[in-house]
Amino acid sequence: MKSLLIIEAKNSPEFLERLLRVCRHRGFTTTNINAETGNSQQTLHITITVASERNISLLTKQIEKIVGVKQVATLQQEKNIKATA
Amino acid sequence: MNGANFVVHALKEQNVTQVFGYPGGAIMPLYDALYDGGVKHLLCRHEQGAAMAAIGYARATGKVGVCIATSGPGATNLITGLADALLDSIPIIAITGQVPTNLIGTDAFQEIDVFGLSLACTKHSFMVQSADQLGPIIEQAFEIATTGRPGPVLIDLPKDIQIGPSVAHTLAKLVHSNNYLDNRLIAQAKLMIESSNKPLLYVGGGVGMANAVSELRDFIEQTRIPSVCTLKAIGCIPHHSPYFMGMVGMHGSKASNLAIQECDLLIAIGARFDDRVTGKLDEFAPNAKVIHLDIDAAEIDKLRQVTLSMTDDLKQVLPAITIKPNITPWKKHIATMKAKHVSRYDHPGEPIFAPALLRQLAQSIPGDTVICSDVGQHQMWVAQHMFVDRPENHITSSGLGTMGFGVPAAVGAQVARPDDMVIAISGDGSFMMNVQELGTIKRKKLPIKILLIDNQRLGMVRQWQELFFNSRFSETILTDNPDFVTLASAFDIPGETIKTKSQISQALQRLLTSEGPYLLHVSISEAENVWPLVPPGAPNDKMMESIE
Repeated sequence: MKSLLIIEAKNSPEFLERLLRVCRHRGFTTTNINAETGNSQQTLHITITVASERNISLLTKQIEKIVGVKQVATLQQEKNIKATA
Repeated sequence: MNGANFVVHALKEQNVTQVFGYPGGAIMPLYDALYDGGVKHLLCRHEQGAAMAAIGYARATGKVGVCIATSGPGATNLITGLADALLDSIPIIAITGQVPTNLIGTDAFQEIDVFGLSLACTKHSFMVQSADQLGPIIEQAFEIATTGRPGPVLIDLPKDIQIGPSVAHTLAKLVHSNNYLDNRLIAQAKLMIESSNKPLLYVGGGVGMANAVSELRDFIEQTRIPSVCTLKAIGCIPHHSPYFMGMVGMHGSKASNLAIQECDLLIAIGARFDDRVTGKLDEFAPNAKVIHLDIDAAEIDKLRQVTLSMTDDLKQVLPAITIKPNITPWKKHIATMKAKHVSRYDHPGEPIFAPALLRQLAQSIPGDTVICSDVGQHQMWVAQHMFVDRPENHITSSGLGTMGFGVPAAVGAQVARPDDMVIAISGDGSFMMNVQELGTIKRKKLPIKILLIDNQRLGMVRQWQELFFNSRFSETILTDNPDFVTLASAFDIPGETIKTKSQISQALQRLLTSEGPYLLHVSISEAENVWPLVPPGAPNDKMMESIE
């Protein structure tokens, strides 16, 4: 099952490293990711597609614990997500 | 004031009076600031020892433990301690020196990306990149380490920032707002408890971390609901509590494991359904609805789907859901099971039976004694057969299962509580893993009592080889151990060896009445195993109780 997550976080050099590590360690394969800073460079906007047999809430709850995360939304959850941001 | 002086100042602002560490090149400015900075430092003999001493300090007091190391190997040596603190949710601040900022990324001498290494073994980590970040980072580090589910935080501190000028920072006064409980959930929880015929409390280490032991005891006193606990929650429930059945799980008591399988309502309090507790997860508490109370939302439904959950402060939740169910038949059944499956200490022959020895020790020590156990068979025997009545008095590596933990944790606990007796209980395998910390005991003349249970084996691995690997004892035979009493004497620690039951009473007396440190080396048979045992992949009611 693939899931598309929208994440908003405080911008920091290592944030993507933390995020990708959590995804892998919790049993989710990242199949697509896009990250951009806003105009102020203070906030990181991330769109990430992950695949796993595990329930996506197991991952989103762990992502919410990463220091600096402001918001996590599960936008889509289906067997095949054809297009991501 | 330079950056290093500022760090010491900031530690004092956070009420830190004691740190543990080991100096080296990239952290020398901080050690210069510590020289007369007003924070006591204990030199351990390995950075892993410093991290575990900080954990022992934190666990014995409820305060934050602080450890310090240099860059490169100093920092990597901290990693196991940080992982231990992460798995057991212990608030630790680790400060590591780093090469100067202009050398980072050049493979400089003793440079390693400890920040990268820390990502998997800390709650959070910081790399200080400029002087103005120093104050806010230290403040955030302490807040992150202590709030919500506690955990270790690493601060990587380049040498040039330690030497350079600091930037003033005023400590913010943190305001924690009171959370309001969801009355709908409270009412639902009370209804579930009231309508249950066989409720059971499954108490975890989160109770102690939340400082909610008093609230838990009040809840038990008023509801009379039977209870079991995890390894980390030992001490939360008074051992004489009538419906308390002891530890649950792989080496839990038979009564605990059977009760879990029979209950119709499981109230998990600060516990996380660890595999060592649940055995075969699909068959754990198969008839039970579950109420899960835990500060960490990520623990809810992680392993066991629950009926109702609350992630509020246990100090608030427990009084709010207190209601006395009518469960007289269940309590009678629990009392019968508890009596039927009580541990037995009669053991044939003269060789020392470790469970009986530990029971006798528990009956001989003052109430405020801190027990620091290592990892292995002796750890499980301590959990099964000793009793403590405060979680701060039972310190062991629960989640990570870190051999070598016991002695350095005892160092930290003894420094934290100099007026209380501290006993390190170790096995011959674990003892050798951080044996260098005997040097720390000698240096500070710490009066730690060491009980070394020696079966000349890596006992727990040997037990599994015997049970599950056709007795192929691969690399678990330690008949070439050193003479431990002679080894201890090299660190000015007196000691003795005993081998028979008739020697126990007087040897324990010498151990417990010695003014300084003492090593009691106890030789036992390698054939003794830890029972009961839930085999891997089995449900908790399928316990092995002997080799047959």
